[in-house]
Amino acid sequence: MSRLPCLTRALALVLALAASAADADTLRRFALVAGNDQGGADTRPLRFARDDARKMHALLLRLGGVAPVDAKLLLNEDARDFLAALAELEQRARAARARGERTALFVYYSGHAKDGALRLGDTRLGFDDLKRRLAEASSDIRIAVLDSCRSGAMTRTKGARRAPAFDIESGASRDARGLVILTSSAADEDSQESDALAGSYFSHHLASGLLGDADRSGDGRVTLFEAYSHAYARTVADTAASSAGPQHPTFSYDLAGNGDLVLTDLRASGGGLIVPGAAPVGTYYFVDPGGLVVAELDKAADVERRVALAPGTYRVKRRLPDRLRIGEVEVRRGHPAVLHEARLQDAPFSDDPVKGGLRADGAWWTLGLAGGVQSYFDAPTRDSLFLSVGMVGAEAQLHDYFRRDWVWGLDVALGSRRAVLMLPTLTGPGYRYAMTSVGTSLTSEWPMGRVAPFLGARMAWLLMRRDFEDEALPDQRFAMFSPGLVAGIRWNPLSRLHLTARARTHYLLYNVDAQRSLGFWELGALVTYQP
Amino acid sequence: MRNVMVAGLCLALAACGGDFSNDDLEFLNALPRREDLAAKLPAKSAGRSGGGQVTRPSALVVRLGEPSKLMGDTEETGRAFNASVDALLSLLEDIRSQPPTTREPDRRVWGPYRDPRHAGHDVRFVMTRAALNFDYRLEYRKTGADEAGWWAFLSGTFEADAGIRKGVGSLHLDVERAQQEGLPANDVAALRRLDIHYQTKALPTRVELAFTPRDGAFPVARYTYREAQDSLGEMQFLMPGQDLVPGGLLEDLSLTTRWSPDGRGMAVLDVLSGDIRGAKYTECWDGQGRVTFTARSWDFFNPTEGERATCPDFSALDG
Repeated sequence: MSRLPCLTRALALVLALAASAADADTLRRFALVAGNDQGGADTRPLRFARDDARKMHALLLRLGGVAPVDAKLLLNEDARDFLAALAELEQRARAARARGERTALFVYYSGHAKDGALRLGDTRLGFDDLKRRLAEASSDIRIAVLDSCRSGAMTRTKGARRAPAFDIESGASRDARGLVILTSSAADEDSQESDALAGSYFSHHLASGLLGDADRSGDGRVTLFEAYSHAYARTVADTAASSAGPQHPTFSYDLAGNGDLVLTDLRASGGGLIVPGAAPVGTYYFVDPGGLVVAELDKAADVERRVALAPGTYRVKRRLPDRLRIGEVEVRRGHPAVLHEARLQDAPFSDDPVKGGLRADGAWWTLGLAGGVQSYFDAPTRDSLFLSVGMVGAEAQLHDYFRRDWVWGLDVALGSRRAVLMLPTLTGPGYRYAMTSVGTSLTSEWPMGRVAPFLGARMAWLLMRRDFEDEALPDQRFAMFSPGLVAGIRWNPLSRLHLTARARTHYLLYNVDAQRSLGFWELGALVTYQP
Repeated sequence: MRNVMVAGLCLALAACGGDFSNDDLEFLNALPRREDLAAKLPAKSAGRSGGGQVTRPSALVVRLGEPSKLMGDTEETGRAFNASVDALLSLLEDIRSQPPTTREPDRRVWGPYRDPRHAGHDVRFVMTRAALNFDYRLEYRKTGADEAGWWAFLSGTFEADAGIRKGVGSLHLDVERAQQEGLPANDVAALRRLDIHYQTKALPTRVELAFTPRDGAFPVARYTYREAQDSLGEMQFLMPGQDLVPGGLLEDLSLTTRWSPDGRGMAVLDVLSGDIRGAKYTECWDGQGRVTFTARSWDFFNPTEGERATCPDFSALDG
């Protein structure tokens, strides 16, 4: 095969794609979309993998020509479920082919990958196994989009060729058949998420491209190669300044024929938003009511563009050097809306409606209930002064605010029990002992998959009271600040639910009868919810 | 900003400390309370008459069914007994309501304070402990005097036997010293001293008051109260110079009265001197205070009247 100059090859590809687009309507499409925030041991939970999967699933159903019955959405499912769903779709595809239909199988995965395998929770699916499975699938075209760390390793495996953006070799025959693999990052790169986008950079730009930003031809349809080249450019640009460094998506294919595949038809929903050719050039951002950018559009001069937004109300933002242009547009089902520049207004940068302005490094917080027991090391103390007591309390935690994997907590706990005083010269008075603890802690976590051991320091203010039933004995109280250490392990069984087991040990200076250094320990469990 | 930090530091320090002390409780437990030393007098019941009347028997002319005058005597004496206990213990009440000013390993001190009731005097309360034994002193000094100027108006001891104020103790009010030091003590001006000895560690409990008069104005008066299980009470005291029977001499009597919570009771009058020295008079009464039985050891013809079986069982107070 002769190697043509890149530009020539790209032009040939575009022409071929245009030709193949006509066949798109006759293609029966199947989609397996999976998102998994968990990656098992040695991985940190992701925040938006499932959200990315949901968005992609909805987009394929709405614009990608995939019938709901031909789509599978797997959220936090394991490898066995993934393979079972894939087998079911393959069977349906074989049946369709038996009826003479051309078929395409679209597999999208957002989640962890490491050591040559996708990590679906605690289970693994090797790149080679997945690739072999897709290569052997009966569909005419199989497209795999892997948004996961080091997924670029898959495009280097046997049977596929890796190519940078736009450097695509084409066999120049119609009715392409074969396997195409898109990955979000190179073999030695991490795939990065963004709080501001509430998703990964790659999936966001892929989705934004499929909504219209990637439609460079302006024909109202976004092809696979258009979508990839768009996602590549924007992902590299957005991650260039990140602490993890630029992220480079990869693309490989093994096509027996030729032709691009139309992934989304921007007119399929009949709605969406039209940006007239006369609209000013620039990058437009479309922000949903939750403050998230759902689509972007790089508008050129005198070119009408369409963005296939789902029905809803959006804020439209265009960034100028010294200000923003902001407006609101409502997209209705079946009736394309038109963006009129006159409806946009100037606004300062401080009014930027895009979520994520507070911190881009992903602070999050939890609120929970705790239970435990407190006991002093010194036996006489815990028998007759500060008793061992069960506690219940509440706790709020702020994660990743001061520093990644640092957790700042505020807690309050109460404990109480009835007891009988037993002293050398006084035995028998009944009383109620009560303990109140208000504390703040700073811990550092070491995430390992769904579990995260932690260690840190805590400062508590303790108030102990005892109220005697015999009115001849005075009620007593003692309050003191108490420094301590805390250690434990946090388990994340569900995406927003955390279970924590922890131990604390504290120092307490007691100075009423005499100066005494006391110590106590606490064992507790904490159930927290991440709003 | 610096002011805020200083304010925050002060607030934090103010939120620390307290009075959570086992030793404090043990010291306070060494001080008697009214309910520990006061006599639990029989309850008055409806229709009861004569009880509490100030009527000392000038003669033992008693008819069955009439109100018992001895019972009335006992109640009157019991109230006087309790009033004396109250007067003494009121001096300790302030101590319970305040935490100690000074805490040392076996010593607590409240004060010194200016005494608002005795102008020109400072007052403090000092307690010391040695094993199970506690000593305490309510001390006064003239304002401005040095440490050697402290003297004890009230002193006491307590030997703890665990339990809530269970043990053996004593209190002493030194009225004579108060008069020497110029401390007004008008309520007890007729006394030289007042002593209380008590034991509350085992039943029957016992409280004895001894009034020592100033200048021998009257003999030392002792009142003893005992209490057994089921709130059975006993009061014993001397009644000198009583004209019990016709004759040339007055009788000195020892009256022991016992009662149960339902109001029934029994009195035993021993004649210590006089016309019928050695004689013994016994009287029982019912819940309404009416005499149900009498026994006169000196009466040859009618030694008893009524049924002895109507007398309550007070054997728990024997011994």
